[in-house]
Order: sequence, then structure tokens, then C-alpha cells
Amino acid sequence: MLLTVQGLSKSYGRNHVLHDAGFRIFENEVLGLIGPNGAGKTTLFECLAGLVPADSGEVTFRGQTLGATHRTQALFYLPDGIRPWEAQPVRWVLRFFESLYGRPSGEGLEFAKALQLDHLLQARIGSLSKGEAKRTLLALALLTPHPLLLLDEPFDGLDFRQTRDVMALLRTAPQHNRTLFLSIHQLNDAARVCDRLVLLSRGAVVGEGTLEELRAQAGKSEAGLEEVFLALTA
Amino acid sequence: MRSRLSRAVLLFGKEWRELTASRAFWLLLAIIGPLVGHGFITAVETYAEASGGAGGAPGALAQGLSPLDGVLVPTFGAYDLAVTLLFPFVAIRLVSAEKSSGAWKLMLQSPASLTQMLLAKGAALLAGWSVAWIPGLLALGLWKTYGGTLYPPETLNLLAGHLLHAGLATGVAVAAAALADSAASAAIVTLGFTVGTWALEFVAAGRGGLLQKLASYTPTSALRVFEQGQLRLSTLAVTLVLTLAGFALAAVWLDPRRRTVERVVRSIAVCAVAAGLLFTSAELRPTWDVSENRRNSFPLADERALNRIRQPLHVTVYLAPEDPRLLDLNREVLSKLDRVLPGMAIDYAARSRAGLFEGPAERYGEVWYELGGRKVMSRSATEEIVLETIYRLAGIAPPSHAGELEYPGHPLAARPTGANWIFYVLWPLVVALSGWVHFRHRSRT
Repeated sequence: MLLTVQGLSKSYGRNHVLHDAGFRIFENEVLGLIGPNGAGKTTLFECLAGLVPADSGEVTFRGQTLGATHRTQALFYLPDGIRPWEAQPVRWVLRFFESLYGRPSGEGLEFAKALQLDHLLQARIGSLSKGEAKRTLLALALLTPHPLLLLDEPFDGLDFRQTRDVMALLRTAPQHNRTLFLSIHQLNDAARVCDRLVLLSRGAVVGEGTLEELRAQAGKSEAGLEEVFLALTA
Repeated sequence: MRSRLSRAVLLFGKEWRELTASRAFWLLLAIIGPLVGHGFITAVETYAEASGGAGGAPGALAQGLSPLDGVLVPTFGAYDLAVTLLFPFVAIRLVSAEKSSGAWKLMLQSPASLTQMLLAKGAALLAGWSVAWIPGLLALGLWKTYGGTLYPPETLNLLAGHLLHAGLATGVAVAAAALADSAASAAIVTLGFTVGTWALEFVAAGRGGLLQKLASYTPTSALRVFEQGQLRLSTLAVTLVLTLAGFALAAVWLDPRRRTVERVVRSIAVCAVAAGLLFTSAELRPTWDVSENRRNSFPLADERALNRIRQPLHVTVYLAPEDPRLLDLNREVLSKLDRVLPGMAIDYAARSRAGLFEGPAERYGEVWYELGGRKVMSRSATEEIVLETIYRLAGIAPPSHAGELEYPGHPLAARPTGANWIFYVLWPLVVALSGWVHFRHRSRT
């Protein structure tokens, strides 16, 4: 077991965004976090990453309790909708992350090539399209050495082919002892790329497991993820 | 894992890139040249007139002319303006841009600590400000080529004052950027702070007491101390404490990992520690007169004579804070005495603004000097008369001033040759060209 989350809650005033959320993450798996808009996916990630203080809850990493201030030793969270260092070129940002995390020189360029960013290395981050920026950010995330990556909407802004390629790249990441926890609102993508799924609805975890396990939990043995999701969140 | 030094260099490089990517920074550079140039050219011309050049003032006026007042202070006055109205926006951008773009969320998860990141920002801003100093340093060079004199201690002291001023502005701006949601709000907070200090100076003028004490440490007042050729430890320490407090507050509010309540508590703790340090710093007495003409000191013979007084001097002043005589007395006598007689105590007995009419009215205007149980009253604010009074009290013979060299002054009737071209044409062109090359290179790389 890589990570266990128990009783995670977070409120903003009277708005209870997360309510007693709990789930497990296994080593080297690709875990998907799915839920409708406003379900609390981003808040869950930010609380897990320690960027937002949770009201309550416990996170255990490889059997040891992991305080909020120590989360950066275990996991890296890539937020959705950010556009960091807009004035800087892609190449520099990749090199900066390489240096910051002490990664081998040229690794960033390898990821850039794998993510089809090699023709954009000279371009400023601010001039990239949504999909290009997303792939650049994914390259940054892949440059971090953390055993667990939390990626918020990693396929948002990507076309079908890019999504497929990114999926393939992410799929290879676990081979390097990486575990991925992905927040995905496209259920088809989630079903394709993830080994297991966590279903979040109104801040609460309503299901956790493989698609088969979720089907059994929903009592729909032949249903797709969409139907299962609707059944479990009804 | 990277060493601390290499990480510091890496972070500094990032901040420097971000700073030079800011159009506000290039605008600051473009504007500072003509501003400094205007101050310098006007100062050199006025100095030449006062020196008797071009049929100007008589020679007597030229005696005692000091380049500090005549040229350096007006030239570097441009930096006072830039630090107040331009530089804070450059500093704010360096913090706000990362907050709004999401880069800060990435950096918070990096191996770099919050302190390292803030130090890198501070260092980059300092480096940027150093670039903005080039026109000022060019002006000093030009002044030397005209045959002008520079007295290194007072010149360096003035530069130190401006550096501290910029540091304080950075601390305030960084704190505002950390506290505010957007760069625009941070700019309003920073301007509010500046206007607040001006209001404090206005309100405190002629009031005395705590308000006047507070007003003596506003950025403008603190800078005036350095401009007068004084190196005052209390001013230095207070400015540094305020700067560090700004960065400490920024560190508290740039860390979203803590609850709001916790951040408020930490902010209160920072303010409490800063207040304690400020109180202690304000009590520091050491002051050095680094001016060439020793304007903040008694003649050397008098200082030697006063040094022989071992008993504490107690001065009771019956003058209202708004009374110009008190201003003269403080500037011409008491501040100088304070440096020579560290055990001196001053009691300002007329406290109200309407001191002229308050009781005991019969004592108004009196200044009592008490030493070893003996008291003498004087109404004078003139240096020689007060010193004579003190010598009489102490039973010391007034020293002879024979052989003491008078400050000769450094009159110079020079024209600011080439300055127009350098500051109004060459500097803006160099900045524009550098900016163009920089942004063109960046758009290609």
C-alpha cells in the first residue's frame, strides 16, 4: 500500500467541500478520481498535497503518518488551469525543473519529445495553446522524483491523438516506480487509462475499486463507467 | 540533492529572468535616466551660479558650498521618487505574477524553502535596483570629470541611505503582494502605506511626542538623516527591522498551507517581535557625523572640552513642538550635544500644541540646563551661547578655537557638459535597445 487517506474533510465557511473522504492508493497503479463538477476533486488534491489545510483526516504513506508539511516528500500535485512563468520559453522551464529537482540533464527534452513539444521549445509558455501548455506541465510533473503524482485533469485541452499518446506515456511512468492519481472528468478516458477508480460525489467517496468491483457495487454487471457512476451517485 | 548555494543561484536566476521579463522594470530603467539627469543638470547649474560662475553670486556665498547639498542630494532625489512611485510595482509583480499564474503552487512543492524563495526575490530586486543606479553613478563620474569634489564617507552614506530606502520599499511591496489577492490590490496597499507615512509626517509636524518620534522613521524622514550626512544607528536599525518585518509577513501570507487563523496569529507574532525590535532600535544613541563640513557636530575643540564633563546634563525645554525655535535648538544644539554627552537627558516640558498659551506661561521660551545640582536658564538657540552656558555650569574654561580650520567649501563653476546627451538621449536609447534585444531574443528562444 502506498497511501491511505482516512476521514478527510474540508469546509469553506458553511460549504462542506469534502466530507469524511477515505480511499487507498496502491504502489505503481493508475488511480482515477472521477466526479461531477463541484464534487471536490481539486480540493481533495490540494488537501492531499498539503497546499490547503484540511479540517480533519489522516494520510498514511507506506505505513507512516504523513503530516501536511511533509507531503512534498512523497507526492507532487499538478494543478489544472495554471500557466506558470508565461514570459519564459518552454526549454528554460524544463531546464529549470531539471535543475531544481537534480534530474539528469536532457531528461526534460526527452519528455518534451515524447509529448511532442520539441518544436515548441523556443516558444513562450504564454504563447502556447491550452493543449500545448498542458503537455508542458505534464513534462514538468514527470521531471519530479516523487513516487506519487497527482494530476488534475491531465487530458483537458488535448485532442484524441494527444490524449492517447499522453496516456501511453503515463502508462509507462509506473514502470519507473511512479504511481499516478488522476482527476478526470471524461469518464471514457478514465475507464481506459486507470487501473482503479475513486468516485467522488458532493465531497464524499461513493465508490472505490476496479471497474468490475464498481459494477458489482452498483449491481450492474455489464454497465459502462457512466452508468455505474450514475447508479452510485443517484 | 542540490547544495544550498547552487539552489540559491538557480532561484536567483529564475527571479532575475522574471524581473527582466517585466515591462515595468524596463520602464523604470528608461525613466530613471532622464529623472536623474534633470536633477543632476539643474544641480550643477545652480551650484555653478552659487559658486560665482557666469557673473552669479558673490564669492562669499561660494564659501562653505558643499557638493553633498548642492549636487549629490538633488541628483539622487530622483531615486526617492522612483522608489516611492515606480519600484514597488516592479517588486509587486515579482510576487503577484507567480501567485496568479499558479507557479507559486509548483514552487511551494519544490525542494526550495519559502525563505530561500523570498531571499532570491529580494536579491533579484536588489540586483535590478543596482542596474537602476547606473545613471546616478554616471552622474557622480561626470561630476568628478568637471573637477567636482566627492567626500567618500558622505557619498557612501548617502548611497547607503538610498539602498535602505529601496530595501524598505521592497519589504512593504512584497508584504502587500503576499497579503493582497491581486497585483492591483497590492499596489493600492503599497500606495496607501506611502500616503499614510506622508500623512503621519504632516500630522506629526509640530506635535512632538510619540507621533513626532514615529514620523522621524518614515522612509522620507529616514532618508533625510542620510542626506544630512549623518549615520544614525537607530535609523539604520529601524529601517532594517521594518524591511525584515515586511519579508516575514510575506513569508506568513505566501504559505497557503496554514489556516487563516494560524496566519493571523503568526502575523501578530511578527508584528509584536518587530515592535519590540523597533522600540529597542529607536533607543540606540550612536550617531556618526560623516559630513565633510561636520555640520552635525560642534567644533573639535568644543567636543574635546565637552568630553571632559563626566556628570549627566539635564535639559528642560519650555518650547512647544510647533515653535520654530525648538526646531533650531534641536538641530543646532541638542542633537549635537546628544552625540557628545551620551548621558544627557532632555525633557520637553511644553507638550501641547498651544504651548504659547499654556501654563506655566511665564516659563515659556526658557531652556534650563542642570549639571551637578546647579541650574542655569537660557533662551538662546545659538550654538555658541548654549555652549558657553554649559561651560559655565561645568566650571570649564571655553576652549580656544585658534588654529582650527574652517570648512573651505568646494565652489565649482562648471557647466554640465555632455550630461544632456548622456541622460536624455544616450541612456534612454541604451535602455530601449537593450530591452528590444532582450525581448526579441526571448521571443526567439
